[in-house]
Amino acid sequence: MSGALGSIPLLAQGGEGFVRNRESGSGASCVSDDGVCPAWIVDHFDRYMEPLGRHVLLTVVALAIGFSISFTLALLAHRRRWLIAPVVQLTGILYTIPSLALFFLLLPITGRGFLTAEIALVSYTLLIIFRNVVTGLDGVPSDVVDAARGMGLNDRQVLWRVEIPLALPEIAAGLRIAATTTVGLASLAFFAGAGGLGDPIYADLNFKSNVLVAGGLCVLLAIALDLLVLAVQRLLTPWTRAVPA
Amino acid sequence: MSTPLAILGIFGDAIDFIFNAREARTGGAEVGGLGEFASLTGKHLLVTVAAVGLASLVALPLGLYLGHKRRGGFLAVSVSNVGRAVPSLVLIALFIAFLGVGFANVALALALLAIPPILTNAYVGVTQVDRDVIDAAVGQGLTDGQVMRQIELPLALPLIFGGLRTSVVNVIATATIAPIAGVVTLGDPIISQSVYGDAGKLAAAIVVALLAVVAEVGLGAAQRAVTPAPLRGTPGATRRGRFFVKTAGKGLSTS
Amino acid sequence: MSTPDQTPSGAAAAASPASAASPDRAPAQLEFVDVVKRYPGASAATIESLSLDVPAGEILVLVGPSGCGKTTVMRMVNRMIEPSGGQILIDGEPNTTRPAAELRRDIGYVIQQTGLFPHRTIAENVATVPKLLGWPKARIADRTAELLELVGLDPEFAGRYPAQLSGGQRQRVGVARALAVDPPLMLMDEPFGAIDPITRERLQNEFLRLQETLKRTIVFVTHDIDEAIKMGDRIAVMRPGGHLAQYATPAELLLSPADEFVEQFVGADRALKRLALGRVRDLRLEETVRVRYGDPTAWVREQLRTSQVPYPLVVDADGRPLAWLDDDDLRGERVVEGVGSAVATVERDDILRDAFSDVLAHRVQFAAVVDGHGAVIGILSSDAVARELAPGPAPVEPVEAGAGPGTGS
Repeated sequence: MSGALGSIPLLAQGGEGFVRNRESGSGASCVSDDGVCPAWIVDHFDRYMEPLGRHVLLTVVALAIGFSISFTLALLAHRRRWLIAPVVQLTGILYTIPSLALFFLLLPITGRGFLTAEIALVSYTLLIIFRNVVTGLDGVPSDVVDAARGMGLNDRQVLWRVEIPLALPEIAAGLRIAATTTVGLASLAFFAGAGGLGDPIYADLNFKSNVLVAGGLCVLLAIALDLLVLAVQRLLTPWTRAVPA
Repeated sequence: MSTPLAILGIFGDAIDFIFNAREARTGGAEVGGLGEFASLTGKHLLVTVAAVGLASLVALPLGLYLGHKRRGGFLAVSVSNVGRAVPSLVLIALFIAFLGVGFANVALALALLAIPPILTNAYVGVTQVDRDVIDAAVGQGLTDGQVMRQIELPLALPLIFGGLRTSVVNVIATATIAPIAGVVTLGDPIISQSVYGDAGKLAAAIVVALLAVVAEVGLGAAQRAVTPAPLRGTPGATRRGRFFVKTAGKGLSTS
Repeated sequence: MSTPDQTPSGAAAAASPASAASPDRAPAQLEFVDVVKRYPGASAATIESLSLDVPAGEILVLVGPSGCGKTTVMRMVNRMIEPSGGQILIDGEPNTTRPAAELRRDIGYVIQQTGLFPHRTIAENVATVPKLLGWPKARIADRTAELLELVGLDPEFAGRYPAQLSGGQRQRVGVARALAVDPPLMLMDEPFGAIDPITRERLQNEFLRLQETLKRTIVFVTHDIDEAIKMGDRIAVMRPGGHLAQYATPAELLLSPADEFVEQFVGADRALKRLALGRVRDLRLEETVRVRYGDPTAWVREQLRTSQVPYPLVVDADGRPLAWLDDDDLRGERVVEGVGSAVATVERDDILRDAFSDVLAHRVQFAAVVDGHGAVIGILSSDAVARELAPGPAPVEPVEAGAGPGTGS
């Protein structure tokens, strides 16, 4: 199942041997004391690039798939209201199951690796994005939709030219929550053998430098994705910033 | 390993593992069985209750007070945003690296995780109370404290419960990785699979998943129970609390 | 008296009645034939068999209390609601022959909450239907600029978003958007309902002035009888339960309400309301003695014996009214400079209600009717107004043409 991603080497479970070899010219005593060692961090920073890239991949793929599924479901449910309750209940249960448990529940079915991790990560984005898209579409003022229909826009034109643009802020808000949540959950993906920044963190929990760098990258990635979505949203919705003259 | 029958077999074996103890893969001690799972679940719930209790002690009064004063919206939102950006594994790892392992540290780390939803929901719950209602109450001579106790608190209860529900479910999920910090919860069979075997980790995964779903559903029922009857049935009022975090963020950033 | 034109709309409408961007389109003739609306499961029909005929170029006002189905009737025209029975004919053609969306692009649509697209600029909002119809960009730009001018909006608004406009400005955009392709038929659902009274009055007046040149066929929904009387060429009063209580011109409606419901709905002051329909020019004017300061009082008294109006009017060299004189003012030998009381002045085109109100506000209950230069052309008496309101045939004295009940604007 990871064949399609053959170019990305899968890390061994728990990142064995990932940070253990701490031998380093600079600040050897700091390192042996498990301290925060700037020199070591500078020397070994490139070790974190592969897990970081992997983490980004896990997150972005999960968001893209999760968004496609839940956006489509939300558009369907927008016209067929009875769909909302079952979709929310089903995705709600998926959202509730702890990710670690889900990884291991999936292992016998999909095996270790990228696919298992993605199934779990995608399943956590569904509820958040679905609800926000539905809420956003519901929040479009009814008089605007009425006027649009009254002027002769057909259903698809109303949806794509009026309702979806006006729901964008809400949709983006959902995507932001989904993005930061997924970055966090992807740090546990190594339990499913899918790598990511959790690998180095778990490999040496006592070494402050290691936890700081890997953890810090996690946090920065979450913030960066959050700001990216926000920036795109602001670019797409200039009217939300129009101040009454 | 992935023929349907084999999958069923593995799940069947896992369920058997929950009810009947067996010899550890490494030999010697007995593992699994209801007794062990009861004690693991107990520990899991204990650390959850400790963490959420600690978080509530801090976040509830703060959220209610800030909401009452209609101030500090920025704080309430920032806390929830930062809370989301710091992954649970990173938080626990930072605690292990800088403070060491043990029940108290894990409970503290989990409490930090539990604070944002509780704080934000309490804040939003109070601030969403109609200003006219409060104005009318003050106009009839209710004191500040009476307004908080008799008006804001009852009307905010559904959202407060929503926050607690979110935190409890989050903490139950995160407590699964507590064994890496030396607290033996239901995550232990999952993480220390060398002792428990495949059936053991699957069994633990099943129990943790059930625990989280039961907590979600049970607290959902409690949330409905505390919702004043006239407000029930409006989807927004009783929905799970985590969605109000986003709504709060939107409302507050513009005010 | 008449409110000064505060926007360029009037002038613009007069200057460019037919737009270069859109060919002159004839207004549509609209006909409801036994139209019924019944919702499944509902015990009573929302609209009971309704038949109405609206001549091309007229404003039909649907008025009635809430729940009478007036909006339902309007929305069936562009098939936002589909009738359960009967037909709606536009220029003789059933409105069901074309797909609904296509039909709607040809029918202007204005609603109370404006329904402007918050995510589109004013210009983009106005261009909605032209864009749907695939007009070339240059033509859309020309038409948009023309429409903004037509409704009295500064061109600088074009690039703004609806949130940056006041309620009145937004409704102007709503009207401009509905007029974009010069539709033969327009639907307006309480278009001025959410606007403060002063702005509402101004928008109503401007719209009526626009209509004088555009001559569209308009279905106008309101719950306000005063607005109905002011805007309507014909008024359909609806009763709760979807019955048509009366279909008449405003004057007929006020003069002879069909039943008790209409009489109550029209209001106890319906005689006074008729004043809103007439204009000063509809009444026979009277004459009085015109004097100048310094004239001998004996001569004035002599002239007064044969005058219709018992007060002499002081005018200046250009014939403009200065003051009314009474007996006290005529005690001396000559009319003393500066004596007398204030004169109400009205113009021929003023609405009778406003003119009468002005008369009532003065000590002397006669008004000087002046021409465009302010010179007196006759006198309006409160008696003449009262005679105008009296039902039945005109009183004994012979009345010249033009004194009949006002026919609206």
